[in-house]
Amino acid sequence: MGPLIPGGYIPMEWDSIIAIFIGIAFGFVLEASGFSSSRKLAGVFYGYDFAVLKVFFTAAAVSVIGIYYMDYLGYLDISKLYVHPTYLWGAIIGGVIMGAGFVTGGFCPGTSLCAVAIGKLDAWVYVIGIMIGVFIFSELFNLFEPIYDGYNFGNITLIDSFGWNPYWVIFVFAIIAVVAFGIADMVRKRVKSVFY
Amino acid sequence: MDKKKTVKFLSYRYQILAATLIILAAGLVLLPKYEKQEGIRSKQLLSHAISPERYISTDDISHKLISQDPSFILVDVRDEESYNNYSLPNAINIPLSKLLDEDSLTYLNQDQFDVVFYSNDTFHADQAWMLCDRLGFKNLHVLQGGLNTWYSTIINPSKPSEAMPESDFKLYATRKAASMYFGVAYPDQNLGAELPSAPSTPKKVITVEKKKKRKAEGGC
Repeated sequence: MGPLIPGGYIPMEWDSIIAIFIGIAFGFVLEASGFSSSRKLAGVFYGYDFAVLKVFFTAAAVSVIGIYYMDYLGYLDISKLYVHPTYLWGAIIGGVIMGAGFVTGGFCPGTSLCAVAIGKLDAWVYVIGIMIGVFIFSELFNLFEPIYDGYNFGNITLIDSFGWNPYWVIFVFAIIAVVAFGIADMVRKRVKSVFY
Repeated sequence: MDKKKTVKFLSYRYQILAATLIILAAGLVLLPKYEKQEGIRSKQLLSHAISPERYISTDDISHKLISQDPSFILVDVRDEESYNNYSLPNAINIPLSKLLDEDSLTYLNQDQFDVVFYSNDTFHADQAWMLCDRLGFKNLHVLQGGLNTWYSTIINPSKPSEAMPESDFKLYATRKAASMYFGVAYPDQNLGAELPSAPSTPKKVITVEKKKKRKAEGGC
């Protein structure tokens, strides 16, 4: 069985409705973990709060281990999962812009909406900034189009392109995650704590 | 005392969680690997194979053809030359070698029509049935005895001798009538002035709706 929608267990027409519920849950968890505070989010860059790093690293490690166990036990067919296509230069340039925006603004697009929902003024400014960016991008789309559509490598994964053994990759990834948590904790103890 | 123990235990909670993560990941590496079986299980295949519904008799097929039953697809699994020489009306030709082509799967992997495989005997048709059933396709049947039996029962039915029971005569009459439908002329037939030409059996185009295959999309 599984994945449920491509496997036909849930009709495809339901996916928008399911998406709304998952989105609400995601927003709730983000807000409940304090991710609607730009100071907490920016903390990872200044070294006084590594919650973002820990949360996303843990989420990735837990889900990849869980998915591969489910695949091993036959509950899920990994080959049917959606792999986002790789637009190499689009991803690199977009990643740099997003990173710069993250450091300076203290939000990523998802958490900024979360913060708007609880009424933070800086998040409003941030979201308006996103809108202006979207507008500029759309106006200059012809200029950016070669990067936007080009360098498409298709739906590739590291495991396919390098022929790695996925299980070893996951093992190494889990070790890297744990080591990163340890280093993050060490850094946090040395940096002067900030109250926010 | 117990509380103290719990507190002491919980002070190691991050280490314990980290160890759990690594142990689980190591478990994936150490688990014995096995080749995954695709398609249905052997037991299921066996129960399909011995099911009486698997075979469909030539009489049933001729009845369905004559009554223009639209609910089934005849699939000729012989090569193209044999198919062009003789085949059942409205049959489509999917040679065994092309059974798993994408065009063929449109006909085979669907649940709107019954699929009836046939070849000269049942050998190749059974192989096609087995391959498709193993892939989990539904509503598959094999023509009992294949075209040879079709010929000896419907096209050229043997006349029952006088000592045979009445049901045999009835069956013979039905088969004879069917063979007339499929273009066989009999000497005792009242044909009028001229022999009618064999009714042409137009190759009906069966349209099978392609399954909607939309790729799942994701995004952040």
